[in-house]
Amino acid sequence: MGKSSYKRLSGGQNLRLRLVLATLSSTPVLIEDIHPNDMFPGLRFHEVSFLRLLEKICDDCAVEINETGTKLKFKPGIVMGGRNLVHDCGLTRSIGYFLEPLIVLGLFAKKPLSIKLKGITNDSKDPSVDTFRSTTFPMLKRFGVPSEGLELKIENRGSAPQGGGEVHLAIPVVQSLTAVKWTDEGMVKRIRGVTFSTRVSSQFENTMVYAARGIFNSFLPDVHIFTDHRAGVHAGNSPGYGISLVAETTSGCCLSADTAISYAREEETAGLEDEKKELMPPEDVGVQIASVLLGEIEQGGVVDSTHQGLLFLLCALCPQDVSKVRVGKLSPYGIETLRHIKDFLGVKFVITADPTTGTVMLKCVGCGLKNLSRKQC
Amino acid sequence: LAKRTFSRQTTNLMQLVYGKSSLPSSIGIEEHDSSADEESDGDDFFKPKGDGIKKHRVDVGNWNVEDSSKFTNYSNVKDWNDKKLIEDLRDRFVTGDWSEAAK
Repeated sequence: MGKSSYKRLSGGQNLRLRLVLATLSSTPVLIEDIHPNDMFPGLRFHEVSFLRLLEKICDDCAVEINETGTKLKFKPGIVMGGRNLVHDCGLTRSIGYFLEPLIVLGLFAKKPLSIKLKGITNDSKDPSVDTFRSTTFPMLKRFGVPSEGLELKIENRGSAPQGGGEVHLAIPVVQSLTAVKWTDEGMVKRIRGVTFSTRVSSQFENTMVYAARGIFNSFLPDVHIFTDHRAGVHAGNSPGYGISLVAETTSGCCLSADTAISYAREEETAGLEDEKKELMPPEDVGVQIASVLLGEIEQGGVVDSTHQGLLFLLCALCPQDVSKVRVGKLSPYGIETLRHIKDFLGVKFVITADPTTGTVMLKCVGCGLKNLSRKQC
Repeated sequence: LAKRTFSRQTTNLMQLVYGKSSLPSSIGIEEHDSSADEESDGDDFFKPKGDGIKKHRVDVGNWNVEDSSKFTNYSNVKDWNDKKLIEDLRDRFVTGDWSEAAK
């Protein structure tokens, strides 16, 4: 297979998703026109960092980038996994950006993956590490991922812009996932959450908890929001605070909402940020995120809008069996994911709107992905 | 009628997500739609193109969107101190009416 045909794509959007799908389906990709009109054209720092990470966990994976970085040639290899890996995620995006694809790839690795990621643990752009622990992992278990070996430990927290956080991620390997019929969203039975603060007074956390509780109190009494105040080396290099909430339902679904507040990083790509100069006071943060979570609950579905993409991806990677899931309104990223899944894996979902509840039902037959690399050993 | 609107919604969603590729399945629907709407057969001819343009536009719009799965709808944050809103959502919680939620 010396001469392999490259799948041609253009545009720099959804790079992570494309590379993950390319790796899982062993499709070499050639991506052109990556951010060609930016002030600094080509791949962004975090995207290059993600490519380096891929090289780290894969064997025989070839990455070619042209001089300006607007063209990328990617030949996927075999996901190896391995222990005691370390990756510096940089400071342009938080660790959440890297965790999402890493989790999916780790499941189909040859050996269990155990990696230390350094960078920003919480920011407002990506799901926070707390959300991964509270929401994403329970979701993985639905798909037959064993809970032994699935771990995310937050050693140090780091806020933008200077980061300094450190998490330890362990992902077990699976032979294949199991298809799900996951349509019962149940009723919310409790709300959990965790706040964090780095290099600011722990009083910030209490204010956030108090404000968020105030919103939930008219619904149910079982609300526990923990605080995680970090100081010293565990607090990273920048001040920041934030909150991650999760609503658990009677049928075991988890809906999450999170955010983090910290000073804006200096973007090397201009014109993308509309960061506020003033930080949002903790009370408003609590109220806002509690309201967002209630919005997610109101919308219905077995996962929140943030996890739709991952849910669809996992469904598509299941054995050749019917998966059926219910979500609320389709999120833009979820739609993008559906399109890419069809392009790479040839899995097309049957999407039906459920007018009585305002939710969307999705059905698909998985592509039957097996962990081939594991069989050989 | 309810069934028909239901099926139309289905194709619309499929079309929205997958663009014109879902056309074969949509043609069947359009045929029995045409009695209700004043869509002549000639309109079928134009539909795919319009769809293509729309999809293209969406792509252009997405060109520089941040690659992030996180979707927080800040624009739609409601004031949850409103009694009416609280009552509307009450049945999604275990503290609400169970029989109501089971429907």
